[in-house]
Amino acid sequence: MPETFIAASAPIIVQGMTGRSGRRHTQAMRDYGTNIVGGVSPRDEDVGGIPVFRNCADAVAATNAVGSVAIVPPLAVLPAILEALEAGIRTVVTITEGMPIHDAVRARRAVAEAGATWIGASTPGIAIPGRMKMGFLPDVSLSPGRLGVMAKSGTLSYEVCHRLVGRGLGQSLWVGVGGDPVKGTRFADMLPYYAADPGTDALVIIGEIGGDEEEELARRMRELAFAKPVFALIAGQAAREGVTMGHAGALIHGNVGTVDTKTAALTEAGAQVFTRIQDLVDAVAAG
Amino acid sequence: MMLLEHDAKELLAEIGLPVPRGALVRTGDALPLMPPLVVKAQVPVGGRGKAGGIRPVRDPADLDAALASVLGMTIKGHDVRACRLEETVDFAAEAYLSFTLDAGAGNVRVLMSPHGGIEVEDETTRAGLLGEGVPADPKALRATVDRLSVRMPETLRTPMREAGRALVDAFFAYEAVLLEINPLFVRADGSWTIGDAKLSVDENAFPRRPRLQRLIEDNPDLYREAALKLEQGFDYVLLDPDGDIGLVTTGAGLSMQVIDELTGRGRRPYNFCDIRTGQFRGDPARLCQVLQWIAEGPSIRSVLVNFFAGHTDLGEIARLLLIALEAVPQLRAPITARFIGNGLDQAREIVAAAGDPIAIETDLERAIDLAIERADRGEPAHA
Repeated sequence: MPETFIAASAPIIVQGMTGRSGRRHTQAMRDYGTNIVGGVSPRDEDVGGIPVFRNCADAVAATNAVGSVAIVPPLAVLPAILEALEAGIRTVVTITEGMPIHDAVRARRAVAEAGATWIGASTPGIAIPGRMKMGFLPDVSLSPGRLGVMAKSGTLSYEVCHRLVGRGLGQSLWVGVGGDPVKGTRFADMLPYYAADPGTDALVIIGEIGGDEEEELARRMRELAFAKPVFALIAGQAAREGVTMGHAGALIHGNVGTVDTKTAALTEAGAQVFTRIQDLVDAVAAG
Repeated sequence: MMLLEHDAKELLAEIGLPVPRGALVRTGDALPLMPPLVVKAQVPVGGRGKAGGIRPVRDPADLDAALASVLGMTIKGHDVRACRLEETVDFAAEAYLSFTLDAGAGNVRVLMSPHGGIEVEDETTRAGLLGEGVPADPKALRATVDRLSVRMPETLRTPMREAGRALVDAFFAYEAVLLEINPLFVRADGSWTIGDAKLSVDENAFPRRPRLQRLIEDNPDLYREAALKLEQGFDYVLLDPDGDIGLVTTGAGLSMQVIDELTGRGRRPYNFCDIRTGQFRGDPARLCQVLQWIAEGPSIRSVLVNFFAGHTDLGEIARLLLIALEAVPQLRAPITARFIGNGLDQAREIVAAAGDPIAIETDLERAIDLAIERADRGEPAHA
């Protein structure tokens, strides 16, 4: 992970810019301050004067874009990522719900081979509050500040950050890693960046049942001797084994991926773990 | 999502893997198979044997009673709605084979052991268990199977190589997330068949795997949540049939958290739902559907709506919610709605103009407390 995760002024393109969602999100990102320099679409329609290109290679050649937000149908996400990587894009954010897991595995491999960064499969995106956002994190929850935020759940992170902003606590860099089982960037992947970032004083982790990302984060915290305070919320206490709760990744099998295993691992690594939103918000405000 | 053992075996048989003869039966079905056989509860969780959900039956006179007792069970919160009746297999050895997508490593973990049986559930304590992480590519996986099977006891080498290679094909044919055979029965003559199969598949792959989608659509009683999602396009789970607080919420994580907040206060939420307000597009159908399901709850005394609107317009949402409430008059519980985001003022005006049938709160903690209070007061629905 580079020390600068992505520059606030980085030139960004939107793949699938002329679709219904593409138009809406492109406009909103630009209004927020993101340096949107182009879009990719088979259709020749610009969006608010932003030029549209046939493919990523043309878009990158004309604009020097380094980042891309892909807003394409589920089965088109993998091809979009491969096209972006081929064109030299360094950071890809994919917001679509429903990318097949086997596609995500292939995307991960291609991203790793290219030495690039992928946020997704399904994510509300990332934001450097007050400067730029890639995706659709809601403005009402965004505010410049000193908390590093990482979340599996979009809506739960909106809620938590909205309350924190209400207490005067904003974010340095917010990364929605998403709720898919196989994803581009996991909690632990971001830890070195947050450790090195002088703009981040503490971490807020919005986790949930399923998988082992929280456990992996705990291991990485110990390996790096991560010294900043970590506050974590784990959703899904009331979930049953074998029942998916909305996110494909939020599924308990046997004794793996429960709130208890995650809480134990993170607590041992020095994090404060909560099951109620208000308890976390109060602790962050007090800390 | 985890498929039932019966369906996993049928799918494997369809692409040429050997499985014991068996049939799925629900309560009242004719019995296509007679003892000796095994009655196996069909629920998507491990530990069925320990819970008493697997019963060998030798005497035909005992079958009805054994079947009735397993069909009446609940295993880890799952009602047993069907059983697989399966012929008994004579075997010389039980082995173990599994392929798991390792989400962290982004590859496939291959595990092989000469010792099958329920103890393998605790993998780390098993001696003789060989494992390797391999890129998710059929060729690489077949090579790994060949390499690992050579290290098995001599009598198991060929059957495990054959079974392993066939399972690699199945893993990709069905875009599996997990394919575990435990046990793999190996007979004295070296032939093999599948004792138990766990096959977890990816709902996101259904658009290009019509066979899997059909399986769910044909068995909506056995795959309630997945079938609903295919039909409706959103997630809904009945959590507690006697729960007294119905939930109309959006966003998977926040919806789960609202349930935790309620159970943390000692309450019993009736359902989970992630209704996806962003996909309403002016149609109240989803709201009507969820309110109807909630109205079926015999103990419902309060309904909590929580919409954190990042982009959707709350005025529009309020309008649709009023239409839905009118369309579901059988729902007699008071409605508390937590609205925050775009169009809040408009939502308030619309609800006020309709005579305030919905109590609007902007703070989630207050909305939860109010929904609980109203349940406890036994407050009637606003006319």
